Amino acid sequence: MALAVDTPSIAAIERRPIRDLYYLRVVSTGLSFLLFGVVGTFLGVVAVPLLLAIPGSRAARRSRVRRMIRLAFRALVGFMNRTGAISYRFSGAELLGKPGQLVIANHPSLIDIVLLIAFVPDAACVVKRAAWRNPSMVIAVHAAGYIANAPTESMIEQASALLDTGECLIMFPEGTRTVPDQPSYFHRGAASVAIRAARVVTPVFIDVRPPHLSKAVPWYRVPAIRPHYSLSVGPDIDPLPYRDGPPPVASRTLNAYLKSCYASVLRTT
Amino acid sequence: MYDTDKIFNELRSTLAELFELDPARITLDARLSEDLEIDSIDAIDLMDRLRRQTGRKFSIESFRSVRTVRDLVQAIHALVNEG
Repeated sequence: MALAVDTPSIAAIERRPIRDLYYLRVVSTGLSFLLFGVVGTFLGVVAVPLLLAIPGSRAARRSRVRRMIRLAFRALVGFMNRTGAISYRFSGAELLGKPGQLVIANHPSLIDIVLLIAFVPDAACVVKRAAWRNPSMVIAVHAAGYIANAPTESMIEQASALLDTGECLIMFPEGTRTVPDQPSYFHRGAASVAIRAARVVTPVFIDVRPPHLSKAVPWYRVPAIRPHYSLSVGPDIDPLPYRDGPPPVASRTLNAYLKSCYASVLRTT
Repeated sequence: MYDTDKIFNELRSTLAELFELDPARITLDARLSEDLEIDSIDAIDLMDRLRRQTGRKFSIESFRSVRTVRDLVQAIHALVNEG
């Protein structure tokens, strides 16, 4: 039996007969959300305060919480993978988590951030502001020192300060989840942070086939076939040569380059 | 004390250099976002530069209502001559 080799359009996928244990995938996807909410709340209310109570510097406490989030997300990814909600392959994850590294990724699915945090050691990230209003996330994102996304001076400064002190930071230049087959917009915030403070910029290319947990579709409408997440780490980009020009020009040039990298890699795979 | 003409002239050369703009486009009536394509990220870079140039603590908040180059000149004038 031949597997789908070339890239079927979304319309073709929608018409396909359901398979890959469709109903089990609906259940396990729902359970994953439930686990996220329940375990997330428990970790925030019980585990984070305990981790913060152990003596240590502010940075040590922070990275303890980040480690907890990483392990919890690793478990969630494992659960989704074993129950068949998704399959995934992350190639080059060992290249992530370097000091002063700005990791950027495209944003096709709700769980991109879960996959990235699960595999990048001791990383901070810029996450949507809604996380600070979500009871199951607010305590953890706060204690982990994550940064709320906004095109503001405060976000740019916090992100730059974090890279300056040698931490690793994850950002999604598209800002919000993209709609399949729609052109996306690359916000310049990530490029601006890169120009200001990154030692290296490393792109991660996320390809989800068929589209899954995208913006256009509610979670329970799982795709007809099991979605596969392919995450691959691209070559490091040195921001140094871009710093010759004035910052606004530099961040525009870098942003255009990043956008073209994503366009060419994700169109041809 | 800096007068508004002097501020405008300095601001024009700063904007021209920072955003690689043709100085002829930078008039008092030019709108920052529509005419000069200066967005919120650019505004942060501009703040940084103004802080270094004037030694004053500019904040984005003091430029909330700025729409045109004239507004910006007046805002800088107010801050620089504050005391």
